[in-house]
Amino acid sequence: MTDYQVIDRINELLDSTDDQTVNTSMRIPAALRDAAALAVNELDLAPSTTVLTANALRAALEAAVMQAVLDRHYEEHPDARPTLADLAIAAAELDGHPLAGQPGLLRQSAAEVQQRHPEAGPEDVLLWAEARTSAAA
Amino acid sequence: MSRVVLLDNEAVHALADPAHPKHRRVISHAVVVTRRKARAVPVSIAVPSAVRVEAGWDRTAPAWAFINRLRIADIPLDASHADAAAALRTRTRVSVADAHLGAIVRASNQVTVLTSDPGGMHLVAEGKPIEVVTL
Repeated sequence: MTDYQVIDRINELLDSTDDQTVNTSMRIPAALRDAAALAVNELDLAPSTTVLTANALRAALEAAVMQAVLDRHYEEHPDARPTLADLAIAAAELDGHPLAGQPGLLRQSAAEVQQRHPEAGPEDVLLWAEARTSAAA
Repeated sequence: MSRVVLLDNEAVHALADPAHPKHRRVISHAVVVTRRKARAVPVSIAVPSAVRVEAGWDRTAPAWAFINRLRIADIPLDASHADAAAALRTRTRVSVADAHLGAIVRASNQVTVLTSDPGGMHLVAEGKPIEVVTL
């Protein structure tokens, strides 16, 4: 199967409305199972450990397949890859962050953060920008 | 609480077309959603079916393969959305696509709209607080 065939098949399966369930032979650490049971029973994290596990697995698969699509897109279109500053601006805009209207500040903050922390993410940039703003106030 | 990121016609085209001047801008939002999903933050990207029609987005056409794979959900124009959209269109004279967007905004908790028409989005939101990202 090609990468795109795998991606398309995963997407088909994630979109399936078939609610048939199966017992699996998946083995997970006992401590993790016990922690999940406690979280469900005592913290109402989810209706059941099955729902908790299925939701977490779905979110992980959705993110993985989207990232795989984006990575292949960047291979074909390198200019489409956003910079850290682009991502920081987008992260601010999605939630209506108070600094969303200051793209210049976010671009400057992204450059500063990236110099010290090349692996930084957009949320790191927002935090840095917020700190700079409050320090200057 | 889950946030839904809605695309308007321009956002659909910008995301689908690598030559579009706003392509990287809309990709940035898709990347942020992807990163949040990886952290199990409840967030999704969706397109109202009326917007998809307006944009000419045919999921069976090979030209839309990239955007089809990004897990952007269709929000159908079902009976309740159609009623709300019809009433909204009567009040505001907006397009069918914008009226469908407005109906979804009314029915959702946390909404961000990527759009080239921020004024139109605030119009159809009719005072409901939403995040509008101007492309």
